[in-house]
Parts: sequence; structure tokens; C-alpha cells
Amino acid sequence: MSHPSPRSVDWSAIRTIVGRDIRAVRRSKAIVLPMALVPAVLLVALPFGIGLIARNAPTDQVQSALGSSLLKNLADPILGLPERERLVVLVLGYLLSPLLLVLPLMVSAVLAADAFAGEKERRTLEVVLHLPISDRDLFAAKVLTAFLPAVALTWIGALLYTVVCNVVAWPVTGRLFLPFSQFAVTVLWIAPAVALLALGLLVVVSSRARTTQEANQLGGAVILPLIFVAAAQTSALMLLPVVSVLAVGALVWAVGLALLWFNGRRFTRDRLASAG
Amino acid sequence: MTAAIETEGLTRGFRSGLAVDGLTMRLEPGQVLALLGPNGAGKTTTVRLLDGVLVPHAGRSVVLGHDPVTEGDAVRRRTGVLTENAGLDDRLTSRENLLYVARLRGFDKAAAGRRVDELLERFGMLERADDLTGGFSTGQRKRVALARALIHDPELLFLDEPTSGLDPAGTRDVIALIDELAAEGRTVVLATHFLGEAGRLADRMAVLHKGRLRAFGAPDELAAQLWSGVGAEVDLGAPGDAATVAALGAVRGVRTAQVHLTGVRLVLDDREVLPRVVEAAVGRGLPVYGAVTRRPTLEDVYFAIERRIAAEEGEIGTDGFAGLPTPHDDLYAAPDTASGAAPVPASGPAPAPTAEPGRPS
Repeated sequence: MSHPSPRSVDWSAIRTIVGRDIRAVRRSKAIVLPMALVPAVLLVALPFGIGLIARNAPTDQVQSALGSSLLKNLADPILGLPERERLVVLVLGYLLSPLLLVLPLMVSAVLAADAFAGEKERRTLEVVLHLPISDRDLFAAKVLTAFLPAVALTWIGALLYTVVCNVVAWPVTGRLFLPFSQFAVTVLWIAPAVALLALGLLVVVSSRARTTQEANQLGGAVILPLIFVAAAQTSALMLLPVVSVLAVGALVWAVGLALLWFNGRRFTRDRLASAG
Repeated sequence: MTAAIETEGLTRGFRSGLAVDGLTMRLEPGQVLALLGPNGAGKTTTVRLLDGVLVPHAGRSVVLGHDPVTEGDAVRRRTGVLTENAGLDDRLTSRENLLYVARLRGFDKAAAGRRVDELLERFGMLERADDLTGGFSTGQRKRVALARALIHDPELLFLDEPTSGLDPAGTRDVIALIDELAAEGRTVVLATHFLGEAGRLADRMAVLHKGRLRAFGAPDELAAQLWSGVGAEVDLGAPGDAATVAALGAVRGVRTAQVHLTGVRLVLDDREVLPRVVEAAVGRGLPVYGAVTRRPTLEDVYFAIERRIAAEEGEIGTDGFAGLPTPHDDLYAAPDTASGAAPVPASGPAPAPTAEPGRPS
């Protein structure tokens, strides 16, 4: 048997916990079903249906609609396209794509709730607390257990979304209009940061809650405003220069990491055990 | 010799109040400690404090030479814990549940696999190794959980209610297993309120009540503090009548005599008195089917201590314990106390602490 020195991060232990948790989650229908259904609806069925409608809708009103002051920033990239592409690109590339950021938030919320509150509910947490793993490594493992699937599912969802959108739009575009730069940066850079930000808040909620239901309810109260903000602001992100999108992402990363650092310092097995 | 466990004034509170209050005790390596007390007495909190899961608000402890507060991982590497609920993840198989813990305890993949199979076989669960534990009976879950607690061959075992929820056969199996583990020289802390199992296994007992340690020591030592003399029973095939009780009570060396269901119960100066009692009974023409001395069990000691605590805290009167049922009341309660001999409270084989002046209480 080998053990790391007390100060070093025990990556082997972290990998073991993450592996076990993800394996267990994959066998839980209550977790897997919503995590499969939500992306299927939001990122496949919805863009497919709306894309078909947009593809076949008359496009003569797009230019006048984009002329309004509210959508002035959106006008240039869209109006630069051939007329028949405008509506479908506008809808799929700019208006529906923010839904992608719902995914890291939702998956983080579900898995964070399972990470601690779920363990308490299943009465498996006590066993973990009696194992020789530091509080810091336990915290890191639980964060990664939610973070990695959230990012992986978001990226898979983005890939599906990209394929569906291009397939639906192909008859009018005749080219791959997704991913464009801002979309790619949003998916690869901002979505993981959003997942981290959500976890910075939710891990603490989960560790204090006694049941998964309680964690979900408390987590919902925390995460819903984030979902609204993400959905409302992402369209704007698609219009910013790539450097600005990267900067926004860096800001979200910084806030998420700061939250995790702060909450990680306050995270102890004593608090976990005392909370219920 | 370094103690396996040493605590001094260990105290921990929650919002609801103190869970452990000034716990001071010492347990030597290889000893089996029965940590006894009613629900909420502080047993689980004590285990959590000793394993470094909770931080004490006052006091200190040393477990296997380490401070659980600052060297929690070092303590937990050498301890094994069976939690009251087996704590198995029902979404995993028994093998997966054990492999997970083995890997976290530093086994490499191959060694972990070998060790898990070895333990599953020892605990009779190898055939169920690849079944999800969600379908297991309570006994099977306990066995897998015990295997998990032993995976790293710990020097110190904390067993929290190891037989709760088990049927009689399951209880017998688990007791035998714990007996085996103790015989291997491990230090065992057995937190339980099942006194029968504790009595069979423990060579030290600690009684917690509302977080405070109310008694600590070897059951025999505690019994000696509670009662003097030797308890005995003479089986006459029927409750002894008043004249018989009086006659046997008058034998030299008999301290008290009392009628009970199959004859007479006595407290003697020492066991050498018993043949004289038998002789007296035979001399009166009574059939003597048996005569035995009876040492107080851990259960007797525990209930005597609990009654003393209840009396001290005013939960019952200090002048008697008749209102407080004990496991032996149905067997030993005197149907007729007007026997002429000094009465023995219906509390066990020997007088309860306040029954006679001058005895410690």
C-alpha cells in the first residue's frame, strides 16, 4: 500500500472517487434520464423543428426586423448573408444557441446534488468520511465528479446541436455555418467556466442539505437566475469580437475559481458530518 | 505501553447540546471496549471524534499514537469502521463497493482485486460479488460492510451497532466474526445497545449517558464496585415458601435470601457457602435440582449503572427501583417479599447498589 505525503494532492484517490461516483451515476435512472432528455429536447428536437420552420419561412421581413434599434448589433453579420440564409442562421446560430449554456448549469446542479446530499441520503457519506483522504482532495473529487460530466455532456450536446443545425440549414446554406468563432469559444471556453461557477455555489448547498430533493430545491433557487442570465446574455456574446468573448470567459472562470477556493477552504468533514 | 486510545476531557457539542462531555478513558491495544448507552448517549459522536471525523470543542485524544485532529488521515489509515448502516452504494456491486475502498486505502489495482476476493470469500459473499448490493439482505450488507472495514487489516476497529437489523442467525454469525477479530489481537470498540453481544465480547465497558462517561472499566471490576458477595440460585423446582427462604437465609455466610420462580435466590459471602446452603435445603427434605453461583453479566452491570444514573438525575426515586423494568424482572421479581429475609431488589442476581447501606452506589 502506498500513501502520498499529507501535503501533496492525492490524484489517485481523486480519480478513484470520481470514477466510482460517475459509474454509480450512470446506473441511476433518476439522474441519467433528465441528463439525456433535456439535451435531446433542447439541442436536437427544438433546433430541428424550429430550424425547419425558419428554413421554409418567408425571409422578406428579416431585414426590416433587424433594422430596429434593439437588434442593431445583430444586423451586420446577418444582413451580410444571402437573403434566404438569414432567418435560419439568425434563429439557429444566434437565438437558440444560448440554450447550450443551460446544459452545464443543469448537469452541474443534478450531479452536485448527488455528490453530497445524495451520499447522505444513501447513507454512504459516513463511510467516505472515515477514509484516509484529505478534506481538500475529497472536495476536489466531488467537484470534478460534477464538473467533468457537465463539460463532456455540454460538448457532446454542442456537437449534436452543430450537426442538427447544419443538416437542417444545408438546403438553404449549402455550407457549414456552425461553428463560427464566437460559438466555438462559447462552447469550449465559457461553458466549462459556467459549470465551474455553478459548482462553486452548488457544492456548498449540497453539502449542507440532508436530501437530494432539498439540495435540488436549494440548488434550483441558486441556479435558475444563472440560467436566465446565461440565456439572455449569450446571444450578445455571439456578436462580440472573439477577444471579448475570451475575456468574458476569463472573468467567469475567475469568479468560479474564487468561489471554489473560498468554499473549499471552508469545506471540512466536520461540517459535513455535523450537517446531518 | 502506548494506549490504543487515550482521551482526556474530550468534549463535542452541536446546536442541540453537548453530545460528548468531558470523556476521559484509556484503552490498551488488543482490548475490546463495549461503548454502551441509550440512543443519543454519544456513542457515534465518540467514534467520529476518535477517528478524526469530528473536531472536539475541548479536550484531546490520542489514537494509535496520533492526534485525530491534526493527523486524521494517519489515524484513519490504521482504523476500520463499520457504520450502523452498512453504507453500501446500492448502485454498485459488492465487489465494486470494496474495490473503491481498497483503492482509497492505497492498494494497487491487482492487490485490491486479490484482497477483495479474499475477504468476500471469508465472509461468504464471493458468490454475490458481482451483484448489486441493492438486492442484499441486512445480514449480507453487514457482512460486505465488515469486509470493507477489514480491507486494510486495521489495528483498531470501530463497530457501530454491528448487529442492528440482523435476524438471530445473522447476529450469531456477526458475533462469531467479531470474536474472531478480537482473538486476532485487534483493538475493538463496539458501540452498541445490544448488551448480549457486548457481554460476550467485551473486556472493558464504558457507559455513556447524555454524553458523559458514567462508568468505565472491566465488567467484573464494575460489578465488584456495585455489589459485594456472590449471587447464587438454588433450584427447588418451585418457588421457595417463606419458611424455606428464612431457613436458607439463616445459613452462616448467607447475606440475603429471596424467593424466585424456581426456588431461592441468595447473596453469599463467597462460593464456599453454597454447599452449606444445599445441605440445609436437603436437611429440610427439599428436592434440590441444581445450585449455581452466578456472576453478574455485563447486562446486569449496565442496568444497575443506568438505574443509578436515573436515581441520581431524579428520574426515579433513590429508595427503590421497582418501577424500572429490567430484563430479569419476570424471572427474579419476588412474588412475596414477606419472607423474613432481607429483601433483594428485583434487579438481577445480586443486590442493587443502594439496597444495603455502606455499598457503593
